Amino acid sequence: MTTNTLVLTGIRSNERLGAVLMAAFLGLGLVFMAGFAPAMALHNAAHDFRHAQNFPCH
Amino acid sequence: MIIRLVSAALVAGFLAAVVATGLQLALTSPLIIAAERYESGEATAPAAHWMPRDASPASLIIRAHSSHEHGGKTEGVEGGEVAPAWQPGPGLPRMAFTALATLVGGVGYALLLGAALIACGREPNPEIGLRFAIAGFLAVALAPALGLPPELPGMEAAPLAERQFWWIMTAAATAMGLYLIAIRRSSIAIAGGIVLLVAPHLAGAPETSHTASALPPGYAAQFAARSLGIAFVFWAVIGLAFGWAWNSFGRKIAVASRA
Repeated sequence: MTTNTLVLTGIRSNERLGAVLMAAFLGLGLVFMAGFAPAMALHNAAHDFRHAQNFPCH
Repeated sequence: MIIRLVSAALVAGFLAAVVATGLQLALTSPLIIAAERYESGEATAPAAHWMPRDASPASLIIRAHSSHEHGGKTEGVEGGEVAPAWQPGPGLPRMAFTALATLVGGVGYALLLGAALIACGREPNPEIGLRFAIAGFLAVALAPALGLPPELPGMEAAPLAERQFWWIMTAAATAMGLYLIAIRRSSIAIAGGIVLLVAPHLAGAPETSHTASALPPGYAAQFAARSLGIAFVFWAVIGLAFGWAWNSFGRKIAVASRA
């Protein structure tokens, strides 16, 4: 019984950690792309958004 | 869990992007376009507006950027001569790319919000989502804006890399400080949190320029206030919608597994 719950919570916290890391990685990637990516084409596409959301621009 | 988190973040990011895009197109984009007219010098010296840019040390980046500014209005006149970086066309394409960038940013922020909620062991709902969203607004919008006020095109500023570095440091320190104060809550954590909140501002942001510009100050002030207002709405919708979407996806999963 105890081992069962331990295993279960173990799996659940592992799953949680995986989800958190995955979401944080994806989220940082998307925010970087929209807000910081230096490629000129990306900068120009996101220009008005960057200014409006106060990402450093130019 | 990862699927539920990503689904909820997509929904929240989409809803927030719809609201924020509407606000940006109505409130900030007209000011940006008006400011570009001053940046390119069209309002003062129509003929020689690329000259000062050319002499600047960071000419590569700035020239490409300013060629984009011109593209907005005088397409075809200069586009072929100066560093032809891709840019969305004026009018509808530009609005569409602003919307797309807002969507990407919104989903990114929603994913980070979801990650923070789960990492802190909170079961997401609209109320808790809103609380974390306010923290997100404080960390990435208000705190960086204290040192680097929202800028219109053409407001001369410190080198880009310095500002981006300070922005990221400030956002990270503020987020960490808020976490220590609001979630850890021991007296040592609160003291450390206050230090983290204050430190980036004591260290000081890269200096904003004091050179005069042809840009009317009213534009800049209006832009700063509107920018922060939009950022707050953006975050509030992300938080509320994430909590709501998380629960509605959970219900579907529960129903599906019972069936």
